[in-house]
Amino acid sequence: MEIEPTPPPAVQKIFSVKESRVTDGQSIHFDLPSDGVYTLTLIDKESGNVVSRERFTGKIGENIKKIYTNSLQSQYLYLLLQDVTSKEIGKTTIITK
Amino acid sequence: MKHLLVTLFLFISFLGFGQSVSAPDSKSFIPSANGQDGSGFVLSGFGATETLLASISLINPSTGTTFYLNTTTNLIAASGFTLSGNKTRLVVTGTMANINTALESLKVNTGSVVGNVQLSVAATVNPIGFFYNGVNGHFYKPITATNERTTYTNARSRSLLTTFKGQTGYLVTITSTSEEEFIRVNVPATNVWFAATDEVKDGTWVIDAGPEKGIVMKTANGQLNGNIPGVYNNWCGGEPNGSNGSENYAVAKWNGAACWNDLSNNWSNPYVIEYGTWTNPDDATFTEFYTNSVTHSNGEVLRAAFNVDFGTNIDETKFSAKGYTYTNNNWNVVNGTARQLSGLGKVDLTSLLDTAKVSNGVRATTTSGQVEWCVIYEYDATNQRYRVGIDSREVNGIVSQPSMISSLQLFDLWNGPVTFNSYDSNGWTEVYIYTATQFNFSGSSFAQNIRAGNGFYGLQAEFTFSPILAYKPHGMELTHSNQTELNTLYNSIVGVSDVYLAFKELADGGIFGNQTGLGLTNGIQYLNADVDGNGIFNESDTYKLLQHLTGVQSLSQSTALTYLMKLYNKSDYDAITTSNWGTKFNSTRNLIPFTLGSLNNTYNINVTWLGDVNLSHSAQQSVSAVSGNSIRSMSVMSNSITNEVNVIIMSEIVGNTIIVTISVDPLQQELVGTQFQLNYDNTKLKFEKVEFTTKGNPTNFGTNKGSFINIGSLLTSGDVLDKTTEYRVIFTPINNTTDILGLTSISTTDAVNKAGKQLKVIIK
Repeated sequence: MEIEPTPPPAVQKIFSVKESRVTDGQSIHFDLPSDGVYTLTLIDKESGNVVSRERFTGKIGENIKKIYTNSLQSQYLYLLLQDVTSKEIGKTTIITK
Repeated sequence: MKHLLVTLFLFISFLGFGQSVSAPDSKSFIPSANGQDGSGFVLSGFGATETLLASISLINPSTGTTFYLNTTTNLIAASGFTLSGNKTRLVVTGTMANINTALESLKVNTGSVVGNVQLSVAATVNPIGFFYNGVNGHFYKPITATNERTTYTNARSRSLLTTFKGQTGYLVTITSTSEEEFIRVNVPATNVWFAATDEVKDGTWVIDAGPEKGIVMKTANGQLNGNIPGVYNNWCGGEPNGSNGSENYAVAKWNGAACWNDLSNNWSNPYVIEYGTWTNPDDATFTEFYTNSVTHSNGEVLRAAFNVDFGTNIDETKFSAKGYTYTNNNWNVVNGTARQLSGLGKVDLTSLLDTAKVSNGVRATTTSGQVEWCVIYEYDATNQRYRVGIDSREVNGIVSQPSMISSLQLFDLWNGPVTFNSYDSNGWTEVYIYTATQFNFSGSSFAQNIRAGNGFYGLQAEFTFSPILAYKPHGMELTHSNQTELNTLYNSIVGVSDVYLAFKELADGGIFGNQTGLGLTNGIQYLNADVDGNGIFNESDTYKLLQHLTGVQSLSQSTALTYLMKLYNKSDYDAITTSNWGTKFNSTRNLIPFTLGSLNNTYNINVTWLGDVNLSHSAQQSVSAVSGNSIRSMSVMSNSITNEVNVIIMSEIVGNTIIVTISVDPLQQELVGTQFQLNYDNTKLKFEKVEFTTKGNPTNFGTNKGSFINIGSLLTSGDVLDKTTEYRVIFTPINNTTDILGLTSISTTDAVNKAGKQLKVIIK
């Protein structure tokens, strides 16, 4: 009997959900509208302060980045994606620990 | 000579001196609770292989109060007792070690009746041929051999000719059901003479020996006829009958039955000799019979609760509290699990307290060498006395008043009473030893422990005291759950704004901290700024603060919290002013003493920290309590920050390095100090350096603390930092990576302006 192939599971895009639980070194997937320089920012939800920010060069379409949590002292954070003009591309909540 | 020594040793061993039963200190039990610790009795001085007889008893226990032994290994219950179960009295035999093991497992069950719980333990070498009655504390010797059986009158007179453990014997009396049962079980014979007769008046039976001799038991023959209420009678049916007019003497175990008969004196019967005249075993005065007791209380539940005010910015749940007692000149932790503080700084140490009371004649234990415990001045021949000075700290925890010192043991020089002379506020107590004979200091066996001074001798002493009954001094110790976390916390407790404030105070002429109207407006600020704890705030302190800030030498380098934390009773804390701070207790401590008073004790404790000059992590004083302090301005300074500076953080991969840039925009502030804690994942990054872009020649610091970099600047020259201020922290990845989000993060921040105001740092 021929076995029907199973499609690979769809990857959850980080900014397509309201909230995600992440662990150290976990990959996050997100789409970019164009090639260019972007920033990913982590913001402490309680204080509103930025705790970490990475500037990177992205490509149009799906991008994969890793997020590290060992140095983070907050458990509840916003993850914010902005373009070079600080325009918000995506925003979600992440929970560490 | 060797033989002589051996002989002497054997002789001393034979004497067997030194046996004793020691009792624990008294404590408080909880009413209606089972399995409470009743341990603490210890037998000592007996031979290891000797079989001992031990009696454990509750004296006049109230309803529901019993005890049991959890461990009874190798013990044998005496006749009439069983090892297991709850009981009020138990007699066992066994070796000293086995009995001590059992005593260590002694548990007490209490009833609902509040009152005393008196426990008594007696012990002696188990005598062959004697039986011990744990109910009345008497020994009994059955005389059952055929050739020793005799008439009643002979038995009566022969008994009086015997002694045992210093007590004269007497023909046994049977005055209770339990004693009857004891005789029945332990005397392997029937028709046993006991001390009861109607020889004076037929039908009027009286007790014929012992402490009850002469007490009328009944006034007529017949099993129940004329029985005196309250006096024990146990006659067989139809007895006594005075048959033949000569049956004037009583036997127990008549023909093996558990009852009595009257017989004539021409019977030759076994008999029992009884030793002991008391009714309470604890009144026993047998020689080589050792007893001790303790009176615990049932219902005095000592409660000690603490409200610890850490102020803001401290996570109280990271701290735990332990209970301590002050005994033998030391703080000793009370066994039990430390209790974590709630988020409100509350903790209850009830049941972690040592509820033992200091009782009569307590002797402090001293340790040989090192310390002079007292001073003996030259002999006063006129008054025939020595004047002895004692540092009262030596008796802390032993007496509540130095005047209670009633006797001293000074090695082999003196062991006797003293007369209290004086006490001064510095803690120096003086007593007199009246003696017509001068001490021979140089001839003392402890001469090496006696130090001769100019007109005095310094030496160790042991102290005994007048009767007192008070709870031992207690202490509550705070500990932090994690030293690494504590070090990180301290990085925020003492920040750049604290250090700047200290420098500013010096620049404003506030040296010594005893002037008013300067930068520091609160005595506790001076107290904390005085980091060397010498009661003076000066350049030495600011130097140490700067060393801490710049990572040269951290204030928290010691792992002991006691060097960082300052605990005060709230009332004492409120009373600290800019005028008196230098005279206040100026040491750090994480163990605060307290004295148990009533049964329910609540203590309000305030916390402040070494180096926390701006009081950002300290309890605030009660404004109404101190008129001389400018608390409100202090409060504004430390807790109502309205001024802000902006900071931007950005990390990116540049070549083979990861650069984290922290850019500062002071906005409208005259910024003189910045501080950032940049955490990093040290499993993935290696710290390389910090590059500073700052104006005004500040002291810049970038200290690697292992898991974070402490970065910032401090300007004390009068210049200010501008918006070109930037810190570039450079790492190299341990393994190649293209992603760095979260590998570094900012947590604690601090900033201060020229006026000494702490600023809020907004990280954008």
